[in-house]
Amino acid sequence: MSLALRPSFPDYESVSKHNNFNPYSDNGGSVVAIAGDDFVVVGADTRLSAGFSIYTREQSKLFPLSANTVLGCSGCWCDTLTLTRILKSRMQMYQQEHNKTMSTTACAQMLSIILYYKRFFPYYISNMLVGLDDEGKGCVYSYDPVGHCERRTFRASGSAGALLQPLLDNQIGKKNMLNAKEEPVSKEAALSILKDVFISAAERDIYTGDSILINIITKDGTTEETFQLRRD
Amino acid sequence: MFLTRSEYDRGVNTFSPEGRLFQVEYAIEAIKLGSTAIGICTSQGVVLAVEKRITSSLMEPTTIEKIVEVDKHIGCAVSGLIADSRTMIDKARIECQNHWFVYNEKMTVESCAQAVSNLAIQFGDSDDDGAAMSRPFGVAILFAGIDEKGPQLYHMDPSGTFVQFDAKAIGSGSEGAQQSLQEVYHKSMTLEEATTSALTILKQVMEEKLNSSNVEVMTMTPNKLFHMFTKEQVEEVIGRLSVEHPVSLNVGGSQKV
Repeated sequence: MSLALRPSFPDYESVSKHNNFNPYSDNGGSVVAIAGDDFVVVGADTRLSAGFSIYTREQSKLFPLSANTVLGCSGCWCDTLTLTRILKSRMQMYQQEHNKTMSTTACAQMLSIILYYKRFFPYYISNMLVGLDDEGKGCVYSYDPVGHCERRTFRASGSAGALLQPLLDNQIGKKNMLNAKEEPVSKEAALSILKDVFISAAERDIYTGDSILINIITKDGTTEETFQLRRD
Repeated sequence: MFLTRSEYDRGVNTFSPEGRLFQVEYAIEAIKLGSTAIGICTSQGVVLAVEKRITSSLMEPTTIEKIVEVDKHIGCAVSGLIADSRTMIDKARIECQNHWFVYNEKMTVESCAQAVSNLAIQFGDSDDDGAAMSRPFGVAILFAGIDEKGPQLYHMDPSGTFVQFDAKAIGSGSEGAQQSLQEVYHKSMTLEEATTSALTILKQVMEEKLNSSNVEVMTMTPNKLFHMFTKEQVEEVIGRLSVEHPVSLNVGGSQKV
């Protein structure tokens, strides 16, 4: 029977509908970290959003894991909640099993492995782990969602990551400048660059704004600071 | 020793009315049939020395391995049922590598001993994890290692109990050897002193005459980490023995099996 001669029964015809399962959402947010010889500063904006709506203007995206380790997360907020709870419990288990606090370097490796264990259903998060290494030097570890880990001295990630990284490359890495050489950045300079780049990000990126929460980690512990950004 | 020996000394998961687990106690007794192993911890490093029982001249002595490397920074000396020790060493090696894999750092000696201890008490009823060991392991282990706390020596028995020691002897000659260790040990001992002392004591408690093929010696130092002595190096230490220790230590009541 040819197609044209086939009888039609509209009531029984079904259009195949694709109901896409969408487990992820992008809740925005940016994290910037800068490490120095004996300190590390990390800042994250406090806007939590989805599309054109803002959920809250005061959500911290920095998670202290120990006295000298802080994790900054941006991306899918529900994944962040789960991951940070897992990390918190792993930190406690390590403390109890080995009678010592997990070092930043150990934590960096552990995070990489936790992320890779979900290689085929990843946590949709841009992670940034900062702290002091075994010699007391500041360190910044940045990750992709499946656990690739890289140690840097400065890094921007999240919704404005691509916008801010070249700015940091120039201001801290002294890239693309004549007669400028890279030298260790002071804590004060790092803080002011951090605030400046966030002001710039808030101008262009709608998922970054409201305010930033800054953690400053030195051998004496972590101190907190806030800084207002534009709220539109 | 066991006046009220009864049906309670059969099951590994039944306490006697006095609150004892006889099978575990018997396992500890089994260690006293094993060859002697001595460990001394100094500020410069740790030394392990064990006797190898060469029961036949046709035997190949190098195939008896009683000191093994667990990781670059942890070595073990075993005494008792050597076959049982393989399982425990395997566990120790896996745990050390897993720790490196997950945390990118050396496992501490204490954590390694803890991990093996967890295996040592997994006898009795099998559970979901698979069939359990039907009896306690019949081995005692000396863990010699270096971590952020410096050189350390741990001793573990079949009950899974592990304790840190400055110097410890296990196996058939352990009673006499432990007494001698108490006499010679002092906090400022050099590693060289410790090595000669370990071999001197071993010589005294061994039935056979000590030579370079019936002992194994290992040192754990911050620079070289796990280092097994070559035949020549062992001979060199043996050469020092009679010169440095003209008067042999009085080892009283060393029991030999």
